[in-house]
Amino acid sequence: MATDDESTPSESTERFQVLRGHLTRSTHDRIVAGLAGGIAARFGVPTVYVRAAFVALTLAGGFGILCYLAGWLTVPDEQQYGSMIIADRPPTTPQQVGLGLGFLALLIILDTVGLWFGPIVWPATLFIFGAALVWDRSSAESRDRMSQFAKPSGDGASRSRAQIIVGVALMAVGIVVVFASLDSFQQLGPVAIAVLITAAGFMLLFGPWILGLFEDLTEERRARIRSEERADMAAHLHDSVLQTLALIQRSDDPQRMTTLARAQERDLRAWLFEPTGATNGGTVGEAVKVAAAKVETDFDVPVEVVVVGDRPLDNTTEPLVASAAEAMANAAEHSGARTVSVYVECSEDAAEVWVTDQGSGFDPDDVPEQRRGISQSIIARMTRSGGEASVISKPGEGTEIHLRSESL
Amino acid sequence: MTTIYLVDDHELFLSGVRAELSERFEVCGWSTDVDAAVDGIRKERPDVVLVDVHMPGGGGLSVVANVQQTNPDIRFLALSVSDAPEDVIAMIRAGSRGYVTKSIEPDALADAIERVAIGDAVFSPKLAGFVLDAFSDTVPVEADPDLDRLTPREREVLRQIARGYAYKQVANRLSISVKTVETHVSAVLRKLQLSNRHELARWATERRIV
Repeated sequence: MATDDESTPSESTERFQVLRGHLTRSTHDRIVAGLAGGIAARFGVPTVYVRAAFVALTLAGGFGILCYLAGWLTVPDEQQYGSMIIADRPPTTPQQVGLGLGFLALLIILDTVGLWFGPIVWPATLFIFGAALVWDRSSAESRDRMSQFAKPSGDGASRSRAQIIVGVALMAVGIVVVFASLDSFQQLGPVAIAVLITAAGFMLLFGPWILGLFEDLTEERRARIRSEERADMAAHLHDSVLQTLALIQRSDDPQRMTTLARAQERDLRAWLFEPTGATNGGTVGEAVKVAAAKVETDFDVPVEVVVVGDRPLDNTTEPLVASAAEAMANAAEHSGARTVSVYVECSEDAAEVWVTDQGSGFDPDDVPEQRRGISQSIIARMTRSGGEASVISKPGEGTEIHLRSESL
Repeated sequence: MTTIYLVDDHELFLSGVRAELSERFEVCGWSTDVDAAVDGIRKERPDVVLVDVHMPGGGGLSVVANVQQTNPDIRFLALSVSDAPEDVIAMIRAGSRGYVTKSIEPDALADAIERVAIGDAVFSPKLAGFVLDAFSDTVPVEADPDLDRLTPREREVLRQIARGYAYKQVANRLSISVKTVETHVSAVLRKLQLSNRHELARWATERRIV
């Protein structure tokens, strides 16, 4: 004991000077204030051992907490200091042994001085460092697993196995000693302690491994979903887009090419942007879009559809859509306009459609027989279903057909 | 002559637009990526920037946002193949004065650029439809009447635009001047940019009308 008393103070004062001069608190490796992270970085050891040391010191009459608080107050923050102080190389084995012995000496001193929580401290310290050994190795392994370039080396694997075995052994010794000494403090509830210790041991042993497993599973599932999406996308592009591109290359009619391109564009847009499971043609807006697509293909004239509000198809809106389809076909076939515009608006009390073209127009009072037929069939259909329709047109100024059906 | 700057990551499309527009405008520069575009626009100070929405590195959105910080006087017209509501609304709210799709006719595009150059807003039929849909009659609980609602006249102007009429035709049909139509459209643009009614955001995500 006397030799320890002689050597330790000088060693710890020397260390203390080093600490005061060159220690920072870590901002990225922190649980409370980053002190353990800073010390670990300064000495080049894994943080988990420094944390274990603080926990073990805390068992010694709360000395660890005092140390930590003192460190928190005196050691500057990494950002305050400018940069992190780190060891330029990991400590050699003698240095590691030195650090360990220094810590052991400190514990013995505290025991001698009387800062102590009783016989549980020694086995608990064993247990804590055993756990730290295991935890350090498992988290290092999962780090390696994460980085795909890490080569599994036989040497590292056997070392890690040895480390885990030593760690588990330390923990086991700790637990056994605790159990053996349980008789002396039965007032603490031995069963509860046993359960607690076993649970904690299990978590420390397998925690990192379970965590890693879970991460792997999530990653795997994500990758599978991605690849399924890609396959889905590829199948769709192959079925539709490539087919259309082939058709366009074989076609020499520009109008036909434009129509093919537009039809494909519409299809692709619907596939990319429409929510999956959207009712296809089940609402006024959808049905008008379907009808517009058919007119585009039949007459090679683009039909632009704008929908504001929507409602399901029923007895009153079905004739509306049919009339709109007829009006679109009429405009595309006869007006000579480059595009046909369709505007659908559904509100609380009515559904309305405007079919507009900027084409040749006509005089409603003086029209060729076949056109009157069409506009009259539209008007008749709308009136029959309780709606209304109007045709506004002037030669040279295009045509607007307005359809309206009241809600029941 | 109005100077314009083109930003599009598709070289082929870029050269096509450049050829189409070089007769009516002075094309003072073009870029194919976000960073070069921001630098180039700051240097050239064009009247109007024609900006693609989808580009690697933040897209048209970050071009508009970045340039607006230093040069709020430069005007943007968004040009995109996408007319997904979230894209349209995001570009408009970032400060773009209009949104047209790439299928637009060259003449119509040139008109749109002229309009943006003098400070007006450019609404395609689809954009007008979006706005009518987003500002539907249901009044939000915490309504700011100046920003959260459209006046009946604004609504009527948007309806006409949604039906495919040009500003001049809208003016004729409603018996108002073209200037008045422009005023209404600019007012709607302002509401679209400043209104914080949550319907706007919710609507854009819920209704993915194309």
